[in-house]
Amino acid sequence: MKARSTAQATTAIWLGLVIGALLMLFPIYWIAATAVRPRTEIFDAVISLVPAHVTWENFIYLWRRQPLLAWMTNSLFIAIVGVFITVFANLLCGYTFAKFKFPGRNILFFAILGALMIPIQVILVPEFLITAWLGLLNTPWGVILPRAAEAFGIFMVRQFMVSIPDELLEAARLDGAGEFHIFTRIVLPLSRPIIAVLVIFTFMWRWNDFAWPLVVLTDHEQYTLPLGLNLLRGEVNPEWGQVMALALIGLAPMLIIFLLFQRYLVQGIASTGLK
Amino acid sequence: MGGLMDGDANHGKAALPGHRARRWAVQRQKLIPYVFIAPNIVLFTTFSFLPLIYAFYISFHDWSLIGDPEWLGIHNYTRLVRDPLFWQSLRNTLVYALSTVPTSMAIGLLLAMALNRRLPGRTFIRSVYFLPLVVSAVATGTIAAWMFNENYGVINAALVQLGLGRISWLSNPAWALPSLAVATLWVRVGFNMVVYLAALQSIPAVYYEAAKIDGASGLSQFRHVTFPLLAPATFLLLILNVIHSFQVFDLVYVMTGGGPGFSTTMVVQYIFKSAFVTSEMGYASAMGVALYLIILVFTAIQWRASRQSESAL
Amino acid sequence: MIKTPTPTIARRTLLGTAAATMLSTGRLARAQSPVTLNMTVWGAAAEEAAFNAAIAKYKTLHPDVTIRMEVNGNAMQAYQQVDTRLAGRQAPDIFRVQYQQVGRYASARAVVDLTQYVDVKDEADFAPAFWQAASYKGKPYAMPHHTDTFALYYNRDMFEKIGVVPPTSLDKSWTWVEFLDIARKLKAAGAPYGFAMSWQNAAFRWLPFLYQHGGQLLSTDLAQSNITSKQAVETIAWTQSWFREGLVPPSTSVKSSEQPQNLFANGTVGMLMAGDWQIPFLSKNMTKYNWGVTYMPRDVAMASDLGGNCFAVSRDSKRPDIAADFVKFLSNPENMHDFVSAAQFLPVRKSLMGVKLPYALRPDAMEVFVAQSATIPSHLVSTVTLPNFSKMNAALTDQLDLAFTSGQDATATAQAIDQQVRAVLAV
Repeated sequence: MKARSTAQATTAIWLGLVIGALLMLFPIYWIAATAVRPRTEIFDAVISLVPAHVTWENFIYLWRRQPLLAWMTNSLFIAIVGVFITVFANLLCGYTFAKFKFPGRNILFFAILGALMIPIQVILVPEFLITAWLGLLNTPWGVILPRAAEAFGIFMVRQFMVSIPDELLEAARLDGAGEFHIFTRIVLPLSRPIIAVLVIFTFMWRWNDFAWPLVVLTDHEQYTLPLGLNLLRGEVNPEWGQVMALALIGLAPMLIIFLLFQRYLVQGIASTGLK
Repeated sequence: MGGLMDGDANHGKAALPGHRARRWAVQRQKLIPYVFIAPNIVLFTTFSFLPLIYAFYISFHDWSLIGDPEWLGIHNYTRLVRDPLFWQSLRNTLVYALSTVPTSMAIGLLLAMALNRRLPGRTFIRSVYFLPLVVSAVATGTIAAWMFNENYGVINAALVQLGLGRISWLSNPAWALPSLAVATLWVRVGFNMVVYLAALQSIPAVYYEAAKIDGASGLSQFRHVTFPLLAPATFLLLILNVIHSFQVFDLVYVMTGGGPGFSTTMVVQYIFKSAFVTSEMGYASAMGVALYLIILVFTAIQWRASRQSESAL
Repeated sequence: MIKTPTPTIARRTLLGTAAATMLSTGRLARAQSPVTLNMTVWGAAAEEAAFNAAIAKYKTLHPDVTIRMEVNGNAMQAYQQVDTRLAGRQAPDIFRVQYQQVGRYASARAVVDLTQYVDVKDEADFAPAFWQAASYKGKPYAMPHHTDTFALYYNRDMFEKIGVVPPTSLDKSWTWVEFLDIARKLKAAGAPYGFAMSWQNAAFRWLPFLYQHGGQLLSTDLAQSNITSKQAVETIAWTQSWFREGLVPPSTSVKSSEQPQNLFANGTVGMLMAGDWQIPFLSKNMTKYNWGVTYMPRDVAMASDLGGNCFAVSRDSKRPDIAADFVKFLSNPENMHDFVSAAQFLPVRKSLMGVKLPYALRPDAMEVFVAQSATIPSHLVSTVTLPNFSKMNAALTDQLDLAFTSGQDATATAQAIDQQVRAVLAV
């Protein structure tokens, strides 16, 4: 009796989840459906759920009209280099806050948490002035460096590293290992789950950044995919098929990253102990 | 520990090994944490704190961005206190936060609990719920505006098919914020689900076995075991979601531009408009400083509340 | 940014020499070393193509000069970017600017006074209204490039269905009453809405209706607000009635991101008030209906919108001489002729205004726009080219949107605009 009702409940839950999942997927399906629709169908007053004709013209025009390859390369470069710098700096910094006692530690930690709360629009112009002064405008570094410090990552790393046993580090110190050596040889290998979490989130943020690159990158050839999307969307007469085609292109790499790492994501977050 | 002394120690190291070298080693050990956090501190100082200080400085000026700043004293702050639009945008921000944070967390928790049991296709379903998070806010706003469009959007087309009337999703002040909230939920539910899922998995099974032996029902298990043990995750999500809500920009910028009327004008929107549309950078900075302080206070309150509840447990 | 590392002093001398040479011979001294200039614009595909053609032509004349064009999606984005870069002293050498915005940049000295680069004889060929619109305190701060205006697009098939023949000359243009009657007829005949107005993110396009009704935003000397006048309140109420009566789609208010040309192209609205630059879009996308263009409705007066753009040289340009030369090149008779014909705009040179231009698309429709452009009130031009107009425009945007979408009544709307306009004028 009881087993049967549990089975029924499971089926109901499962059905609910699947319906919810279909709803979640629909906008993404709609991006794809619009991207392959011929221009003449897009503004029809009566909308067919499935495009009557499938065309690749939107992708082809996009390719011919815009420096698509440059946008993709820029996005990839910014995201990959950004991930390396941010994840490494976060690990080093989070480790320090978790495992060292030093004067000013709490003040510095709260200052960093304070940085998490600064809305970008507030500091957009001063930050732009500094970036301009450093000569970084219109370069990928002008996007990477100002965004390289991520308070959220430091916070997560600290949570995770608190649980690394002190004895392990002390033993290495007694063996005469240098601090940096301890960090790279002992701490990092233990931190794989949190590294996976940081990689996913940082990649996602850098890949999708908008407000900041919008002011730093003005040269079309230097644009990233979201800037390209904004350009197409804001045009006097947007070509919606092409807009959606570009949105779809921007989505694909994130999907791959996510499918590759999603297994570690839950584990990684679980491993921070969430305290 | 003065830098000069370290320099001396370093200098004499070759001549006198032993005592001095050991003193240097101790000094160096003390410096290591600072060296390790230096990259982040340098980056934060250059690209966050200095700009924040500069924004604070500018908030006492009248600056059109393209001309030269002029000293105004505290005028921008007195104006802010009296500006009904600032208060309305703050209210909108609070309404937005209140309508998205608890809902997206509750849905995230429900999903996490449902997906924490063995189900066919579990991994795939989890991925689907997380998926929207990887879509950029610009793309989300674009697709949402596209679907919510009153005249050729798919949602109204569906309503018409069902024999219902069209709804002015984005041009009726009563519907614009709910539309925005739906788009927000689409994005944020997945993140909350993943964090809760992680938290659920770190609850030792022993607790549930104990609860079962005590004959606790499903609901009371949730109330007395699951929910209290999820407190750290709830706390983390609350802080992150609230901060996120106070900073929402791209989505509004693309979907409604702050309209109709002022119904979706958030503080950040108003800051942007003052800076770039009416060229009042000083006033925009004053609002920015105020918003920063508000977020800081909110977070501090949440922090204290969670500390108290933890010590009460 | 210029990529040549010329030392400052040398550059100054060069600049002085260049200016001197130019004044004496009317020609630009050739650039000594390769120079790259950045130019920020926005515009539809046809405009972008026309700009590229002009750049290529300049390159053949001046092989040392490279012009890099940065295209923004729309005017708002372009201004945001230019302003931020001006703050960082990194502005593009040349940028496209609407007549409404010249005063803002000129009064902040963000753009260069072009007096020394302008040939007096050439200046005389520009229609005075546009030359003044691009000037600030009597000095030219931008070079007029083209103009455009609004007229009424109509769906020919729908008009045949309801048996309406549109006016064929300006003096026969519909009155407000006739116009709304036709909108109602279109709706009764099955069109979802009667018409739409293209003023999204450009609330100043509401002003022509005010002038049609005999009102003005400001007093004749531009020193006082005039928006609480009877005419102004009535105009607000009239435009508000479009929304109240459901004659226009609710999504076509001034703050919306709706593109009304799509609604016209797919038959959601039967008429569209929009600029001439929509001709290429409609020619390409309005495949299911025939369309034509007629005159804007009128009330006690006729009026249409001042549109169009100029080009300015930013104060951050390290070679303002060459930048100014290129800006003049863009507006010379030949290039202006080519640009307006290819991208469907109106010229601002007297020598081109009487001429029949070889418009690539729908010359019949362009004739209507040309005739309509004669109805732009000069007081409207002086109003919208005030340096602080962008702040007044922000007030119009906010308050009219409240009137159109949120039911704020006409008198309250006028009072709210009045309050903000007074504050702007008081500075």
